Amino acid sequence: MIPRLLFVILLGLSPAAAQKPDKSIDLGQFPADTVENVVVPVPSEIFAVLDKLGNPNWRAQLGPEKNYPASPNRAQVALLLGTVIADGFVAVEAEDSERVKEIGRNVLTLAEAINVRKSVVARSNSIIQKADAREWNAVRREFDGALQDVNKAMIELNDEQLAQLVSLGGWLRGTEVLTSLVKEKYSRDRAELLYQPLLVDYFSGQLDRMSPRLRGQPLVGEIRRSLGRIGPLIKKSPPDGITPETVAEINDLSVQMVDLIRAKAGRP
Amino acid sequence: MKLLAPAYRRSAAAILALLLAAPAARAFVDDALSFAYEAANPYAERGWIIREDAWGGDLGAGDKKRVAAQLFRGNSYMFFLATDVDNASLRVNIYDAQGNLAESKSWQRGRFAYAEIKPRSTGTYNVIVEVISSPEERTGWALVYGFQRK
Repeated sequence: MIPRLLFVILLGLSPAAAQKPDKSIDLGQFPADTVENVVVPVPSEIFAVLDKLGNPNWRAQLGPEKNYPASPNRAQVALLLGTVIADGFVAVEAEDSERVKEIGRNVLTLAEAINVRKSVVARSNSIIQKADAREWNAVRREFDGALQDVNKAMIELNDEQLAQLVSLGGWLRGTEVLTSLVKEKYSRDRAELLYQPLLVDYFSGQLDRMSPRLRGQPLVGEIRRSLGRIGPLIKKSPPDGITPETVAEINDLSVQMVDLIRAKAGRP
Repeated sequence: MKLLAPAYRRSAAAILALLLAAPAARAFVDDALSFAYEAANPYAERGWIIREDAWGGDLGAGDKKRVAAQLFRGNSYMFFLATDVDNASLRVNIYDAQGNLAESKSWQRGRFAYAEIKPRSTGTYNVIVEVISSPEERTGWALVYGFQRK
């Protein structure tokens, strides 16, 4: 083990490889079936950048102070769980330890409703402990980990489509927060964070391929339609594309979707 | 040296294993993943946040695969590619949405390859994984990535 690790470290210090990469490639040589892998960023990656763009008013971005009850509708719970985990990141940024702890407990309630409680118990406890200690970087990592644990557990339960809804819920709430912050103090640097064409296509594609049972649910259908409207707005390439007006439009749509998800909490 | 907890690696391996259709490929991709995490571990000590999920598959010699990634200007990213096949040679490079080389650093040596980028703009990037040569017909590969706030 140790010699292998030393070898790896030495590799990192070694000069660049003898075989130089091509300066440019034709992306057309990679048809769609060779692009099955998409790297979806964890929320920390986006919040890390936001941290450097001034001092956003995170408290203003905190969601309603309530614990959302689970509903019998698992798709709704999955979407809601994603938004609640994203709320956790906002509470961390706002350094509100009480809210972080509430959210940690709410994650557990919702996870139970979709049979993945066991996979997040340790994370939830850790979130609460680290929020008490105000170890914010550690809490961020635990929320990232909670999202990934939930996804993993759902995939193991053959609920991959629900796992996709958790990610989508998180992305929608993240987009709502991001657009609110950009709208509050517009700059090109901030607006550039919204340029996420890959993710819009990725989530839209997942919704298109979902089972008719899930796609037929009014909430999922509504989100699918709204995502279709967000797509062209988010694909406007910087630096000129994402104007204050576009940011406001994306914000309106994401607020509507998150409100819709929350409104269905506890209802069939 | 702090190593990532075994459960950490097991969970990532489990995700990857479930994503793979061919049972025969699973074992060597799991091994490739262990190598990739092992290679990335020293970077975690230097402040990089290593993602707990990973990407992988198997390729023939000379074959390439594209992994699409949303990257944000303001962060730095590193990608570690590894295989479990002795004497195989791999490469990983990062190109922007137009197909232009965008990485700030890369190297390849035997079963390991590495690429690093500090994106000049936010958007879609293409991580190209390549098996340059291999004694095996199919070579399992695993890709892990990390990011840093700088």
